[in-house]
Amino acid sequence: MNKKLTTVLLTVIVLAVILMMMGPFYILEEGQQAVVIRFGKIVDSEQDAGLKFKMPFVDNVVKYSDKILAWDGDAQRIPTKENLFIWVDTTARWKISDPAKFYASVTSYERAYGRLDEVIDSSVRTIISKNFLREAVRNSNLINNDEEEQEVPVEVTGVSGEETMQQELRDLADFSESKATFEEIKKGRLSLSNEIFYAAKKITPEYGIELIDIIIRQIRYSDDLTESVYNRMIKDRNQIAQAYRSFGEGKKAEWLGKLENEQKSVLSGAYKTSEEIKGKADAEATRIYSDSYSKDRDFFEFWRSIESYKKTLPKFSKTLTTDLEYFKYFNEKTPR
Amino acid sequence: MGDGNQVPFRPPQLKLKPRMIIILILVVIFAAMGVSSLYMVDQTEEAVILRLGKYDRIAAPGLHYKMPFGIEKNYNVPTQVIQNMSFGFRTEKSGVETIYSRNDYPEESVMLTGDLNIVDVEWIIQYRIDDPVAWLFNVENREKTIRDISQSTLNRLVGDRKIFDVIGKERVNIEESGQEQLNEVLKSYNLGIRVTTIKLRNIVPPVGAVQDSFEDVNKAQQDMNRLINEGKEAYNKEIPKARGEADKIIQEAYGYQAERVNQAEGDVARFNAVYDEYRKNKDITKSRLYIEMIEEVFSSDEKTDLIDKNLDNFLPLKNLQGGATR
Repeated sequence: MNKKLTTVLLTVIVLAVILMMMGPFYILEEGQQAVVIRFGKIVDSEQDAGLKFKMPFVDNVVKYSDKILAWDGDAQRIPTKENLFIWVDTTARWKISDPAKFYASVTSYERAYGRLDEVIDSSVRTIISKNFLREAVRNSNLINNDEEEQEVPVEVTGVSGEETMQQELRDLADFSESKATFEEIKKGRLSLSNEIFYAAKKITPEYGIELIDIIIRQIRYSDDLTESVYNRMIKDRNQIAQAYRSFGEGKKAEWLGKLENEQKSVLSGAYKTSEEIKGKADAEATRIYSDSYSKDRDFFEFWRSIESYKKTLPKFSKTLTTDLEYFKYFNEKTPR
Repeated sequence: MGDGNQVPFRPPQLKLKPRMIIILILVVIFAAMGVSSLYMVDQTEEAVILRLGKYDRIAAPGLHYKMPFGIEKNYNVPTQVIQNMSFGFRTEKSGVETIYSRNDYPEESVMLTGDLNIVDVEWIIQYRIDDPVAWLFNVENREKTIRDISQSTLNRLVGDRKIFDVIGKERVNIEESGQEQLNEVLKSYNLGIRVTTIKLRNIVPPVGAVQDSFEDVNKAQQDMNRLINEGKEAYNKEIPKARGEADKIIQEAYGYQAERVNQAEGDVARFNAVYDEYRKNKDITKSRLYIEMIEEVFSSDEKTDLIDKNLDNFLPLKNLQGGATR
């Protein structure tokens, strides 16, 4: 009796479990939505989570995500309005807004992605090719607001002082990239994204899809364009490097010139001063001599002469005649 | 199970009574209930509990009970952990010496600047999940969404600036407004995370010839400074020397002056002294001076020819001899 009861009970439990699994209930989790299909026809769609009812064995439940989904297409090579080829990499977010329509028109995620590829790629292509490159790259005119001039790294003061040097160097090197004003943009990247978004958004509801946004993830130059941009960047750097070097050479020459100049002026100044001093000395000496010697001209001449003889005569090779005043006594005693 | 009714043969060890079987089944069921109804939440996590698929509650760290057999489900979400995401590079193994992957990720890092140059930007973002329910149920492909938005935000900010500003002074600005804008967009998706940091790492011109040319500018600046310093050095070397030289010349002139004046004064003093004596007895003094002079001049000479004024014929001979003896 007891045994029978338990056997029955067990059977009931097993059956109930099987029924539950196959049966009239299904669980819809948060972030899911579902359509209920009966004999190929959509009879119901559910978007709220919880325990749901369906007809067992007859109804087929197809669950979709109710979350925001990502779309990521391949980067496209698109010419801009000025016919520059760029790679535009966009990504989008979307969700299934109407699961019934989604099931009816595309059914699977793969086909939905296929549709989105077509719709988004074509609107990206349309909008990008209608606009200039700068509109896609930049988002605002912020780039032109910058009034600050680029600091030129000169640590040493030159002949003409730090500030003038900065100015000179700035004039010399063509820092065009930092100085030039750029063409004003009218739209910018965000508005282009929005244009793309609105163009695509019009189409997707027919697939039961709501686009949430389309954003440009990356813009790159096409390969051949990249090469020429690289070359431009290199040339520009070279030009600036050259300017620095030449400027350095120039400043060096300036220092050397200054050196030559000062060296000469210092030395010649000294020469001038020294000659003045010497002249004064000579004048002084002359005055001293003449003051004194003018007292007696005859004696001066005699004195100065014998002083001079003392100095000069020893150097001559001498042959004397007895004629000399000195020898007058010598002669007297000599018999003629 | 059917042989439990009639008992023709029963092994004494295994008494498989139906009661036993039922108890066994119940034990298994209870064990399964126990296992499927207990769950742990780590200190770094919070758990979101769904009852029959519907959000019910959030559980804090610890050991918890839930309804068994999948009636309640728990999803643990690491809400306390700061998560990292890197762009343009990958960390292979972090540690004392972090190893970075050698690969480049140009599809993430190559960007166009506002002045239409190309720059390579690497950055990281850090975020924390602050709403686990939103994190779980609002967005599919969450990581990818964060990556996409982070990339597009950085691209847009770099695209608005000049290459040198990106490399230099706008760095902090990009980090700050990047974080702000990234949070704004992610909030609009209700992703349930909060980006706490954007940090720019390397920002460099494209590797290769372009980077070399950028480095060459730095070198050129060094060269420039070196050249200027060379000029300055030469100047500093020569000018003090010249100044010294000038001083020397002037000092010498002063020396000359002193010498000249002193000499004059000395000469004059001597002259005056002699003159004073001379005036007392002019002839005598004059003769004495004359004779002293001759004496001085000739006394030192060893060989002086003396000839009579009438011996004219001696002269030619002397000339020859004089040339030889000198």
